[in-house]
Amino acid sequence: MNKTTGQRILDKVNVPLVAWVAALLVYGTVMVASATSSMSSGNSMLLRHLFGIGVGLAPLVVAWFIDYTRLRGWQGPLIAFGAFLLISPRIPGLGGTAKGATSWLEIADVRLFQPSEPAKLIFIVIFAAVIANMKGRVDTPSRITKALLYLAGAVFLILLQPDLGTGMVFVAIAMVMLVVGGMKAKHFAFLAVAAAVLVGAILGVDAGLDQIAGRDVGLKDYQKNRLLVFVNPDIDPTDAGYNLAQSKIAIGSGGLTGKGLGSGTQSNLHFIPERHTDFIFSVLGEELGFFGAVLLLGLYLALLLTALAIATSSRDLYGALIATGVLGMWLFQILENVGMTVGMMPITGIPLPFMSFGSSSMVTNLGAVGLLLSVWSRRYGAGS
Amino acid sequence: MPTVSQEFRSRFGVLGIIVVVVLSALLVRLWTMQVLNGESFSAQAENNRVREISIQAPRGRILDRNGVPLVTNRSALAVSVDPSHEDVRALLTRTWTEDTADDPTSRELNEMFGEIAALLGITTADVWERVTDVQQEALRPRVIAVDVSMESVAQIAERQTDFPWAAVEEIAVREYPNGNLAAHVLGYTGAISEEQFKNSDEYAGYERGDTVGKSGVERQYEGVLQGDKGWRRIEVNASGRAQGVVSEQAPRPGNDIRLTIDAAVQAVTEDELDKAIAEAHRQGYTSSRAGAAVVLDIETGEVLASTSRPTYDPTAFLGGISSAEWEALNAKTSEYPLNDRAIMAAYPPASTYKVITAISGMEAGITSENTTYSCTGRWTDMGKQWPKWCWKRTGHGTVSLRGGLKHSCDTVFYEIGYELYKRGKEELQATSREFGLGSKTGIDLPGESAGRVPDAAWKKRYNENYPEYQTWLPGDTVNMSIGQGDMLTTPLQMALVYAGLANDGDIMKPHVLKDVLGSEGDVIRTIEPEVLHATGAPAEMLGVVERGLIDVTETGTAKGVFVGFKPTVAGKTGTAQVKGKDDYAWFCAYAPAEDPKYAVAVIVEQGGHGGSVTGPAARNILAHLLGEELKTIRTTDESR
Repeated sequence: MNKTTGQRILDKVNVPLVAWVAALLVYGTVMVASATSSMSSGNSMLLRHLFGIGVGLAPLVVAWFIDYTRLRGWQGPLIAFGAFLLISPRIPGLGGTAKGATSWLEIADVRLFQPSEPAKLIFIVIFAAVIANMKGRVDTPSRITKALLYLAGAVFLILLQPDLGTGMVFVAIAMVMLVVGGMKAKHFAFLAVAAAVLVGAILGVDAGLDQIAGRDVGLKDYQKNRLLVFVNPDIDPTDAGYNLAQSKIAIGSGGLTGKGLGSGTQSNLHFIPERHTDFIFSVLGEELGFFGAVLLLGLYLALLLTALAIATSSRDLYGALIATGVLGMWLFQILENVGMTVGMMPITGIPLPFMSFGSSSMVTNLGAVGLLLSVWSRRYGAGS
Repeated sequence: MPTVSQEFRSRFGVLGIIVVVVLSALLVRLWTMQVLNGESFSAQAENNRVREISIQAPRGRILDRNGVPLVTNRSALAVSVDPSHEDVRALLTRTWTEDTADDPTSRELNEMFGEIAALLGITTADVWERVTDVQQEALRPRVIAVDVSMESVAQIAERQTDFPWAAVEEIAVREYPNGNLAAHVLGYTGAISEEQFKNSDEYAGYERGDTVGKSGVERQYEGVLQGDKGWRRIEVNASGRAQGVVSEQAPRPGNDIRLTIDAAVQAVTEDELDKAIAEAHRQGYTSSRAGAAVVLDIETGEVLASTSRPTYDPTAFLGGISSAEWEALNAKTSEYPLNDRAIMAAYPPASTYKVITAISGMEAGITSENTTYSCTGRWTDMGKQWPKWCWKRTGHGTVSLRGGLKHSCDTVFYEIGYELYKRGKEELQATSREFGLGSKTGIDLPGESAGRVPDAAWKKRYNENYPEYQTWLPGDTVNMSIGQGDMLTTPLQMALVYAGLANDGDIMKPHVLKDVLGSEGDVIRTIEPEVLHATGAPAEMLGVVERGLIDVTETGTAKGVFVGFKPTVAGKTGTAQVKGKDDYAWFCAYAPAEDPKYAVAVIVEQGGHGGSVTGPAARNILAHLLGEELKTIRTTDESR
């Protein structure tokens, strides 16, 4: 085939993917600008948001140009690096604590990033290789167990921080990838029941431990509170349920068309906590209403279906699983983040992809775009 | 070789379905919240963001009868603590728990408030006391200091990060241009009490922490002075900080009121009362600290001056009185400076009461102007075992009713009282009541005492548990006839008796409000003169009493006081005996006798003799009213 240079480059770029991501970045920037407009440091926050996007272009380009098929041979180093990332906040001199979790990497008191964010991508790549090595037949208890050991290892390290929300993201990524990996419905059902029993047992044991130790050990109380509030938001509307109640008021009061950008009373008057990061969707729902939410969910649908299309277009299972993992990560984060603002999901600190203020997740998500582009651009064969 | 997509088509199909289902679930949820229930959430959001704060209406001013301001308003810099600030709320929440062990320790309080207290020159305990004041609207900032110096204000403003819960605000406070002049009539203001707050009839629309009149005119005319509150709807953020004003309604200021009080007369009256107490001390009555004086316009019942001693400083109540100051004002040793003795204190009227006995006797037909009595100093008509003494132990010799008034001869009135007793009709009590004794005058001031006119029924009731003391005895009427025994009157009541004598027997209803002014200074309500008691005392009998009273000031017990005083004064000295105390000095009078205008009553507790202590005070008050020269009078009169 004879192609011009332009056509060749265009072949390597999934135009819809870039378009949807660009649209989301613009949308997100507008919302961050609105959410931070009433903050004293609003302008510098907006600049930091744009800076995060700029920095994120680097991993995007790097991941795009790396032939993903080569990653499969780096399984050992990737596992080591991923484990290091998850442990790093616990290493004296490197870790930083925020909101009860030691999930930041700091050097000389300069907060760098949350290592668990890029660790998600590394986990996707590792887990894709695990399933691909089983040729997409993860349908026996022994294979499932083997695959889940990778997940369990990662989740264990995350819970050391402890970061419940990110742990849930890892589980979701693994489950979505296992769908493509061939796990059967009965296995999912079994796992769901086992997980429910396990969670109940953990909560019970944790409560017992707290009692024995006389202090809050194991799972932190605020984490348990968040779960409990999710089950019953009326427990204490002024404290643990406050975030949820205020967020619901914000979104609900947005109505069909919203109150207008920058006119959200709930967000501008600081009723919404973390409004530029975890609760950015509450600001969007309040200021742009149902129409604004439909626009966002529409963009996400387009993004996810594009990711699905890239997965199906992959020339090998490994590439398809990487794309599936990225899809699973985004899908779960959208579900969890939007879901928590409307009371469908427990409140966790999971950012909304491309929308939330926060460089760690922005860089990670753009890196994920790079992975998708890497799979897409090599759909006809390596190096082609 | 099949492509990945062909091999795993169904799996990708499942994935696609999951994507659509998840996003659809979110969409349905959003539709429910935003479109179906949007209005309910909107109402919640509105509630959330807008706080209504009431704006106090400027309180009406209180002017004297000539428009001289007695109470006005000024703005003062106040430092307040926001009880809803999280740090403060954390401490407060702990004090509200049952568990007192959980209460903030003084060290914690010092850490929090120590510095600002030092800056304001108060103690941490003072600050905490104000902050924990439960008689305040929960969200209302607690004023911890009023009239803060600009220097302190600057320091607090500079250190806003150290005191994030503190604010400097301008508040309207009462100003008293004449100091504590007429403090008892004017009254003081303070935060509405729980009791008042729950009185929903009078205090409908009030909020906890509102400033209301607590005594005097401030209390009596609260409804007129208060005005209508305005409100301001402000946007607040989640931590309760105000972000801006949404809408507001200006308050309607309270009405100014004009009193019947004449500031100049009031000043002279207070000055003279103080001098009378000083004179008592000079004469050796060193326990004397308290007293009262009332000046009336006899034709209208207008109170031109009314004062009470000891007095208090109404500015102590600005921004809330400290408990230490409040305790000091209510301590037993304080002689209760907050009490307005002119209307609240009931004293034996002593010889000033003899005018009632005289009229009662004449009305009963048992005495007349020239009926003569023989005074030997010792009176034994009730039996030798119950002798009564005239104050002049050597006796007045032969003396008429008129002379009895002039010399204040007790024997004359013992005789009349005994006759009245023997008639058994309680005529003395009836006459007393005709002159308004034993009942409230209905003056427009709170807390008035009715005094007491004792009679057989009262005595029986009063000694319910002491059967041996229940019988009304001749001595009871005899003691009463000279204003002793169980007879009690307020200074205002005695002033009204003399006003009634001067006003052809008609006692006008006393009042301190002259009129209420509208916003343009126009009169919108005037108090019309009203007859309180038409005593029906015949003019000729009033004439007898008047001649006797003129004799008093010209040649009788008060002649030394009124030497050289041109207008004719009808007056009466009184020296009340109170068990366990030095004698109480009275003087009641009206003038000018030919065309009476003013009535005066002055009493000094434990002041000794009316003629030499309160007489000079009454003289100088009348002198001021009638354009005479004020003089320092020192007599050694020992009469009653």
